Amino acid sequence: MAVNDRLVTQKNKNGLQTTNEMQLTKKDFPWWMVAIGLLIVITFLLIRIKPDFKDAFNIIRAGMSVTISTTLIAFTIATMLGLFIGLGRVSESIFWRNASTIYVEIIRGIPLLVLIFFIALVLIPGLTNLLSALGTVLIDVGMGSFGAKLAAIENKSISMNVRAIISLAITYAAFSAEVFRAGIQSIDKGQMEAARSQGMSRWQAMRYVILPQAIRNILPALGNDLISMLKDSSLVSILAVRDITQVARLYAGHSFKFAQAYSILCVLYLTLTLVLSLCMKVIERKLGNERK
Amino acid sequence: MSENNRPMIETENLSKSFGTLEAVHGVSLKVYPKQVLVIIGPSGSGKSTLLRTMNWLEQPSEGEVYVDGKSLSENQHHINDIRSNIGMVFQNFNLYGHLTVTENITLALRIVKKMKKEEAKKIAMRQLMKVGIADKADRYPSELSGGQQQRVAIARALAMEPKVMLFDEPTSALDPEMIKEVLDVMQLLVKEGMTMVIVTHEMGFAKAAADEVIFMDMGKIVERAAPEEFFEHPSCERTKQFLSQILKH
Repeated sequence: MAVNDRLVTQKNKNGLQTTNEMQLTKKDFPWWMVAIGLLIVITFLLIRIKPDFKDAFNIIRAGMSVTISTTLIAFTIATMLGLFIGLGRVSESIFWRNASTIYVEIIRGIPLLVLIFFIALVLIPGLTNLLSALGTVLIDVGMGSFGAKLAAIENKSISMNVRAIISLAITYAAFSAEVFRAGIQSIDKGQMEAARSQGMSRWQAMRYVILPQAIRNILPALGNDLISMLKDSSLVSILAVRDITQVARLYAGHSFKFAQAYSILCVLYLTLTLVLSLCMKVIERKLGNERK
Repeated sequence: MSENNRPMIETENLSKSFGTLEAVHGVSLKVYPKQVLVIIGPSGSGKSTLLRTMNWLEQPSEGEVYVDGKSLSENQHHINDIRSNIGMVFQNFNLYGHLTVTENITLALRIVKKMKKEEAKKIAMRQLMKVGIADKADRYPSELSGGQQQRVAIARALAMEPKVMLFDEPTSALDPEMIKEVLDVMQLLVKEGMTMVIVTHEMGFAKAAADEVIFMDMGKIVERAAPEEFFEHPSCERTKQFLSQILKH
């Protein structure tokens, strides 16, 4: 598991619990979990008993589906894109190696909040303008039907929710690319040699021998990314996307019930991340048993 | 060995450098069908590098490798085809850790030779029986001893029905009590007439199995001879020195 620990610390994304910590405290009774569980129970009791907590909860709850769907969709895209870029990082081609390194270094060098602004308010409008301009050209050239479709693309036709998802996906693709790269490089090079010596192409060896083993090694790190992304999805509230953070902000803003709104918000995130990290633990244990 | 048929493997004035280090320098050799060539030498003498150029895992810096008459440098885009006819066994076994013993053997049969699952399984069982571990067919490599893993690795290579087998120090990573079971399997292949190139430190095996022994030092062939001649009357001083060091213990 040395690899996973390295991946986690290297990224320094503070998930609720890192793999490392889990292993060190394996034999302890999980008092920490009891304490957090108690905190969550107390909050939900408050929601049942106190009307002002109940009101706040009922309103903030509405953002839940946006938070969860944004996270899951963005994470799926980020993982696929990350695998692609990670493969580029270990490619034999100097072009793909450099292209993917540029991507990773640029994204990692810019704060997530700034990237969200840039992608949602500069990159995507720029691309839509470019596409509609291209459409106009196509109409002139005589490819009217396809051109008209492109020309009809407007800045407004891409909602802020979609832009938020794209921003998170682009950003997290860089993180998961590094996870995939490290995972691939953690596999002994003898595996590739054995596969190549049997007549497999580099891609076949990657697909059937290297990746299955690499992905098994990096699952904990990817799970950690998912938890990080769930928390970072709160940043999309800046685009007025109505996730739980945005809804809580709006509620607190006009009701002045800051304590209720934000403590409920905290507990909601805590509940979600706790559930995710428990799922991860189960998956890890299952893989551990399989491996023996 | 009949000198008039085509060599299975031939290297021609072959050199390989890593940066400024020249691992192999101007080696020419021929391995004829059914011949067993054993390469010995101190560590760092370039013997493994030489072996690895024979299936293009290392690309020579100079010179040429011919496999069954085909130049490897001219057939680089057919390298996968050529490799599927050359079995290789590694020092560290390199079994696919995520696959069972059977799947280790069937993987390349299915994706390189495009065989059906059932057919590949039959071949796998036949090879496992040959190396004597059919009872481990559904185990994972990590559940096997080193000797068993190496026998699976041999079965995996044999399943492709190679024309020649390359062994890169196949017993060097094994505990002493497991060396014999691997050498026994290799001896069986010798009896069957498999063409083999073997890099090893097992002098007893070399003496018993080899048709020709090559001694390498500093990237060059120092001495080549039939095993009786080589071990009884080595002609070079360097060979004598190496043998006395190895056989002393």
